[in-house]
Amino acid sequence: MAEPVLEVHDLHVTFSTENGPVPAVDGIDFAVAPGQTLAIVGESGSGKSVSSSAVMGLLPSNADVTGEVLLDGRQLAGLPNDELRKIRGNDIAMVFQDALSALNPYYSVGWQVAEAYRLHHDVPKKVARRRAVEMLDKVGIPDAARRADSYPHEFSGGMRQRVVIAMALVNDPRVLIADEPTTALDVTVQAQIMRLLDDVQDEFGTALILISHDLGVVAEVADDVLVMYAGRAAERGTVRDLFFRAAHPYSLGLLGAMPRVDVPPKPRLTTIPGTPPGPGSITTGCPFQPRCAYTHLVGERCITERPELTPRPGEGDHEAACHLGRRPEVIL
Amino acid sequence: MSSSVAGTVSPTRQAMRRMRRDRSARVGLVVVALLIVIAAAAPLLVRLAGQDATTYHIDLLDPARGNAPRGAIGGASGTHWFGVEPLTGRDLFSIVVLGLRTSLFIAVVVTLITTVVGTLAGISAAYFGGWYDAVLSRLLDFLFGFPQLVFMIALGIVVPARFPRWLLLILVLSFFGWAGLARLIRNQARSLVAREFVEAARSVGSSGWMVITRELLPNLLGPVLVVATLAIPGYIGAEAALSFLGVGVPPPTPSLGRSISDSIAWVYTGADPWFLLFPGAMLFLAVLGFTLLGDGVRDVFDVRLRRTN
Amino acid sequence: MPDLVWFLIRRLFGALLVMLALSLAVYLIFYAIPADPAHLACGKPCTPDRLEQARHFMQLDQSTLQQYLNFLKGIVAGRTFGDGTAAVHCNAPCFGYSFPLARPVTTLITDRLPITASIALGAAVLWLLFGVSLGVIAALNRGRILDRLAVGVALAGVSTPSFLLGLLAILVFGFWLNMVPVNGYVPLTESPVDWAWHLVTPWIVLAILQAASYIRLTRSQMLEELNLDYITTARAKGAGEARVVLTHGLRGVLVPVITLFGLDLGGLLGGAILTEKVFSMQGLGDLLISAVGQLDVAVVVGVTLFSAFLIILANLVVDIVHGVLDPRVSHG
Ligand SMILES: Nc1ncnc2c1ncn2[C@@H]1O[C@H](COP(=O)(O)OP(=O)(O)OP(=O)(O)O)[C@@H](O)[C@H]1O
Ligand code: SF4
Ligand SMILES: [Mg+2]
Repeated sequence: MAEPVLEVHDLHVTFSTENGPVPAVDGIDFAVAPGQTLAIVGESGSGKSVSSSAVMGLLPSNADVTGEVLLDGRQLAGLPNDELRKIRGNDIAMVFQDALSALNPYYSVGWQVAEAYRLHHDVPKKVARRRAVEMLDKVGIPDAARRADSYPHEFSGGMRQRVVIAMALVNDPRVLIADEPTTALDVTVQAQIMRLLDDVQDEFGTALILISHDLGVVAEVADDVLVMYAGRAAERGTVRDLFFRAAHPYSLGLLGAMPRVDVPPKPRLTTIPGTPPGPGSITTGCPFQPRCAYTHLVGERCITERPELTPRPGEGDHEAACHLGRRPEVIL
Repeated sequence: MSSSVAGTVSPTRQAMRRMRRDRSARVGLVVVALLIVIAAAAPLLVRLAGQDATTYHIDLLDPARGNAPRGAIGGASGTHWFGVEPLTGRDLFSIVVLGLRTSLFIAVVVTLITTVVGTLAGISAAYFGGWYDAVLSRLLDFLFGFPQLVFMIALGIVVPARFPRWLLLILVLSFFGWAGLARLIRNQARSLVAREFVEAARSVGSSGWMVITRELLPNLLGPVLVVATLAIPGYIGAEAALSFLGVGVPPPTPSLGRSISDSIAWVYTGADPWFLLFPGAMLFLAVLGFTLLGDGVRDVFDVRLRRTN
Repeated sequence: MPDLVWFLIRRLFGALLVMLALSLAVYLIFYAIPADPAHLACGKPCTPDRLEQARHFMQLDQSTLQQYLNFLKGIVAGRTFGDGTAAVHCNAPCFGYSFPLARPVTTLITDRLPITASIALGAAVLWLLFGVSLGVIAALNRGRILDRLAVGVALAGVSTPSFLLGLLAILVFGFWLNMVPVNGYVPLTESPVDWAWHLVTPWIVLAILQAASYIRLTRSQMLEELNLDYITTARAKGAGEARVVLTHGLRGVLVPVITLFGLDLGGLLGGAILTEKVFSMQGLGDLLISAVGQLDVAVVVGVTLFSAFLIILANLVVDIVHGVLDPRVSHG
């Protein structure tokens, strides 16, 4: 694997709130190399968005961040805001879930894309605008030169997401973080947007971090996958590791919950029973224990000892955080 | 489910609990309670001080200084706690507490009237919709276009002098006052009417009156209460302004606004600033107390009152 | 933009209708006056004959509706009272004729308007700048000392009646410190310096009080605005804090602020009446109050209608500004 452009080591994010500290992210590691795609999956509230905001340095002031965030080996966590500002949108850019609320309703889309360019390039407005139109054209906005003067509300959902992508890519970032970029869109448009992300990644060699609920999409575009549960990594490996050799009961549950077209539908989709624990509410043992269908195979240890990510013997970089040594058989 | 905890505590209870935690609400509540006690007991207080608001005390005035009160602090003493009025020598404490009584009486009555009328108009417009709603909306537009203060002053020319002024003040302030609340409630109620629980209540055959009192009113209690509390200081100010301009309650009924107006000449010359300061401080305190309370109530009910048109 | 033109025409037409309805209402109310203005004009001894003559001259012997129509006609074509050498002309646009003052109402209003406008507009500019900037500062320093200070000033401001603060200012700055003139008005054309010098106290008094509601509004709107997704987008693009707040945040705040400003401008005449009395300036408020005292119905109606006109005009301007500030407002 090529040298990673972005590495995150032992990232912790703790929010101080009225009800005490909330450890939303509790020690995770990941890395992504140019041209590669890392998918982060996990149920709602598992800390995916908080992790990506931590990388961007965009967390509110009540968040305490520790750990390393390395861009080309340079530590970002703890940089003064002014230094971070030069990196945000320039080296690392972001695509948000809901393009309608992510775009400023008071400015034309052309202006907003041009602004992103001017924030990092000292060029006249004219030049920035030309660049913006070029970018809008590239992401597939028809008649971009004219549409650049339209406002966000005048676009369809899919077109708006294209605008957001154009805005993110206008400075040729090395890393693109897409936080559920397609959940707000309907299925055919989702596919178009994913294809677009795939194309620009090929063209520019951008490293992509894709946060998604949709394992179908992950299977298609990701190289590596990080499965998060309750602020921690449950499993980490390549796409093939996850889809063919899933080692963590939670991953198995996610896979079971995934609708598939290649096998005949089961009488009912398996979903993981129960809900994830709130951040910090389980302090000892495995956070997945209350919902785990395999814990009886392990016993006491699941309650007393917290499982750490450990490499799967003979499976390269594939790691899982589970006391169950052997591969669990699928329980239906 | 975490909501089960909150579910057992009634909204009113929650509101009361938050109220106790909100500092501005607490201060406001104390000030308002104090003011109401003073206003209610004003005649008693005045009697307690052994004074009244009408007796002239010419002996306490200094003819050499244009009949300003003799002594420091506007002639304040153990018998005349706030000193005396220049030119007449009437007891200023009596005038101030009785003036407060006048102000609060008018403001509270107007608030009650406008709250009831505004809420009913707003809810019924939202519930019945159609031409009724359309006509009401035009009427509100019309009222908003009216130059209220100018009109209230001008009205003095039309209404016969026999007509009691305090009643006129209440009527005029109420006439214009309900419009704002009506519009706000109408807009909020309209979004409620569109929600399923109202639909459900209708479909099981609840009468319009039942839906309004059982479903809509409880849900609108917060905004109504907030607007009502925040309206009171507005009416206190309006009453004072009209009295200041000489079109409020006529003498000899004490009025803070009129006293302040009377003090102008004494302020220009600097001969008796206390004649401004005592009634002024009382007026300020009254408006401030109700504003604090209103802010607190708003935070407690977490109501956002955006000005939109 | 033909859309905008149509919108303007429709709104203008609507405003005209409201104005007509208002004027009819005002006319009907004030001409129901129990006292007879002709009494004052008829002189002593007032024989029934002479009274009848006066009524005929002032056109009070016609029906109220006929008088209203005369009034409307006068606006377009002017009016003449009486005939022969005694005739009194009131040129178009004639908004009535004051017999006690022997002047057309239009002239009376235009004579007094500069004073009221000087007070009101000067203060308006001050409080808008002052209120919005303090509100922004308070929002950015939420919970800190600057915020508490601004919130405190705002609270004191909304709780102080203007006439009270005006008198206090006269007492302190005019009398005790003897810094500024306590009353009187000097026309701008006579001496711009004296004009401003005489107005500085009323301006500041009005500005402080009015700014209070702008501080409160701006602060709460800005706090809401800063939680919106597109503010995060702006930060993610690499915009500095100043740009985030002033370019992306303030725009949304301005819409409600301008609405409030429009309403306040429309109602300024009402506020100016109080200020004029405090500072002994002979503006429109003074004109109105003395007209009430002299049963001068024509002036009362004229001033009332004029202030209604200002309110309707202000609402119209607010609507238009809304359309300019917020691209989502459709004119269709
Ligand atoms: N500002 C904050 N203050 C306190 N807690 C927070 C804050 N932001 C997020 N959290 C908590 O952090 C946890 C992780 O949130 P996060 O948004 O990262 O979840 P997510 O995995 O992105 O979920 P989703 O799939 O719903 O987007 C949640 O439990 C949330 O309550
Ligand atoms: S550690 Fe135990 S409880 Fe946790 S996932 Fe593995 S088997 Fe289940
Ligand atoms: Mg998320």
